[in-house]
Amino acid sequence: MKHSHSRIGAGLAALAVGVSLTGCALDGAGGTGSTPEDSVDASGEVTGEVSLQTWALKPNFTEYVEGVIDAFEQEYPGTTVTWLDQPGEGYSEKVLSQASAGELPDVTNLPPDFALALAREGMLLDLEGVDDELESTYVAGGLGAYQYAGIEGTFGYPWYLNTDVNYWNSEILEAGGLDPQDAPTSLDELIEQARTLEAATGGKQYLMSRKPGLGDFAAEGVAILDEDGTEFVFNTPEAVALLDTYRDAYAEGLMPQDVLTDAYLGNSQLFTEGKVGWSTGGGNFIAGVLENNPSLEGKIVPSPAMGTPPLYVQGVSVSKSSKNVPAAIALARFLTNAENQEAFAKEVPGIFPSTIASQENPEFAESDGTPAQDAKVMAFTSLTEAQVLQPVEVTEAMSTVVNQQIAAAISGEVTSQQALDTAVERCNELLSQ
Amino acid sequence: MAETTDARTERATNGTRRVPPAEGTTPVAPTGQSRAAAAQSGTVAARTHAWFTPWLLCLPAIVFLAAFNLWPSANTVFLAFTNVRPLSGGELVGLANFERMLTDDQLATALVNSIVYMLVCLPFLLLVPLALALLVEKKLPGIAFFRTAFYTPVVASAVVVALIWGWMLDDRGVINGMALRLGVVSEAIPFLTDRWLVLFSAISLTVWKGLGYYMIIYLSALGGVGRELHEAAAVDGASAWRRFWSVTVPGVRNTMLLVAVLITVSALRVFSELFVLTNGTGGIGGRDVSVVFLIQMYARGFSGNLGYASALSILLFLITLGPLLLIARINRKGA
Repeated sequence: MKHSHSRIGAGLAALAVGVSLTGCALDGAGGTGSTPEDSVDASGEVTGEVSLQTWALKPNFTEYVEGVIDAFEQEYPGTTVTWLDQPGEGYSEKVLSQASAGELPDVTNLPPDFALALAREGMLLDLEGVDDELESTYVAGGLGAYQYAGIEGTFGYPWYLNTDVNYWNSEILEAGGLDPQDAPTSLDELIEQARTLEAATGGKQYLMSRKPGLGDFAAEGVAILDEDGTEFVFNTPEAVALLDTYRDAYAEGLMPQDVLTDAYLGNSQLFTEGKVGWSTGGGNFIAGVLENNPSLEGKIVPSPAMGTPPLYVQGVSVSKSSKNVPAAIALARFLTNAENQEAFAKEVPGIFPSTIASQENPEFAESDGTPAQDAKVMAFTSLTEAQVLQPVEVTEAMSTVVNQQIAAAISGEVTSQQALDTAVERCNELLSQ
Repeated sequence: MAETTDARTERATNGTRRVPPAEGTTPVAPTGQSRAAAAQSGTVAARTHAWFTPWLLCLPAIVFLAAFNLWPSANTVFLAFTNVRPLSGGELVGLANFERMLTDDQLATALVNSIVYMLVCLPFLLLVPLALALLVEKKLPGIAFFRTAFYTPVVASAVVVALIWGWMLDDRGVINGMALRLGVVSEAIPFLTDRWLVLFSAISLTVWKGLGYYMIIYLSALGGVGRELHEAAAVDGASAWRRFWSVTVPGVRNTMLLVAVLITVSALRVFSELFVLTNGTGGIGGRDVSVVFLIQMYARGFSGNLGYASALSILLFLITLGPLLLIARINRKGA
């Protein structure tokens, strides 16, 4: 009997191992088996059921989205839209699990970096093959965010855009003898004014409260990736010089210690609390600040971003495994058409439409003279020169590595050249795997 | 009781009317002819029961174990020999992931951090909770307050506690603020930016949070140490220190070994404290990462390297196994 038990136990163990070995899906988790070369029939009547997934729009924008869905269903009788809204936290994990299970909704809100991972596996529809009006409908920067080095095609309809503007606390700047109307327009000027403020307040006030990232290098013209998108190249003398500038500013006491580990509250939070003189934020930043700290009313002065403004893009992609491609494409186009985008931009004043037709809309380009309106116009007008600064190829692991090395350089533990060389080497290792 | 049962069953089998056993009483055993017939079928039933009944009873546990322990473990071993990605799949790569470990600087740093973490946590969490248990074991008025106070950190969320510690330790936090105001230091102590200070801040947090938990384990063990042994030793003139070494310590020896095992395993798997205190950055230059931190870093996201992360998991398992085997050996020798 004992032998029998042993055999059964051994059998169970062998079964578990066997099942695990045979069950491991080495052929990819997508389960769709689709490849970028597969053709998809996008013609046909727009009818039937179609699913739409958004990212944290409930409950604040429920009415807006439901209005768009109702209008779509009226425009295309016979269609039924199922709306899924996922919470803000853990969205990438949710999309990953949906993609792994082959259950990606027909139309999904995907930022460009999420879309890249799915496009690489052939899970998203190349819109160039099914929509001839992409370039005549959407701004180049928005479309460019969904076009990737090494992959042919465009994998998302740009939905809405945003960028950053500088914001200055006039009270703090004036306390340091600085003129808020003569705000810094370059890193050198920023450091000079930070030095003046530090001296005037005895080190009690900081103007700078964040360390640089890849976006800051790109904004100063440093190439992050080579043109093929196959190798990181940001360890250039220009990048070293920029990092040296930050290192010297840190050593001079112009930034708080904890800025190195990002443990400091962050410049926007401190700005809202009235503790630092400078922050960056979107076009609607002032409204958010005043909502949390009304005492800053009349004390915030906006100015355009230093260097190349960053472009933040949100878009919607169509699943290649959609069972109703005509309706999915129609829904994605409808959601991102000029009329609906402009209506959404009015609901969320900090964002701007990605449609070419909306760029001439006077509502976005005119200010009533208040700082909040000035900021909105500055953000809107800077969109023409804004660029996606951090390449979408940069993964979380790469960001962590870069962050660690930049901190090491600024703290003086290693030289800027060593830090950037290490960061580039590790990022390339991660990219090639 | 047996006689009563037999009498009842006799009546039940010989009488015209079969009487079912009263609810809540012992089931009636077959007797006489029925017993013989039942014995024949019962033998078959007994044999059958002997075969699958235990397995049937264990089935839920086996299924659970297979689904949530054996399968993931076996899958991890398999993945360690592949270059699988969450979406793109991969292929078998032999020992490539293990070879990569040999040249991974960050892994070397993580191993040093995890081992230092374990070596520092072990004595503190092994001895201080025992001392606390001895203090709060006394039946004194108000002692329940101290027991509760020591245990309170255990029920708090590790992440919340780490966030609070982070706020206290940053360069404008309470601790630096007080130290600067009192003139103890001239500039803020870099608790969250210095490689070793971050590590020891995290260790302090782990020790502070774990004291109550291990104290409770020791308290229950101390309850099993005979009071008469202490009294006898005292009568023989043994000092308090001598009684501690010769009565208390042998009495809780097995518990100490259990506590040592628990501390070793949890210290080598440290993650939350370092992750939260460094705000997810792993410290300046990534010099405050632990092995679990690295696993998380490599496995996360759309491009997660599941193969290398699995290989790191196996390495961590083997490293954890070493101290456990050592403790088991000490236990055997002691026994």
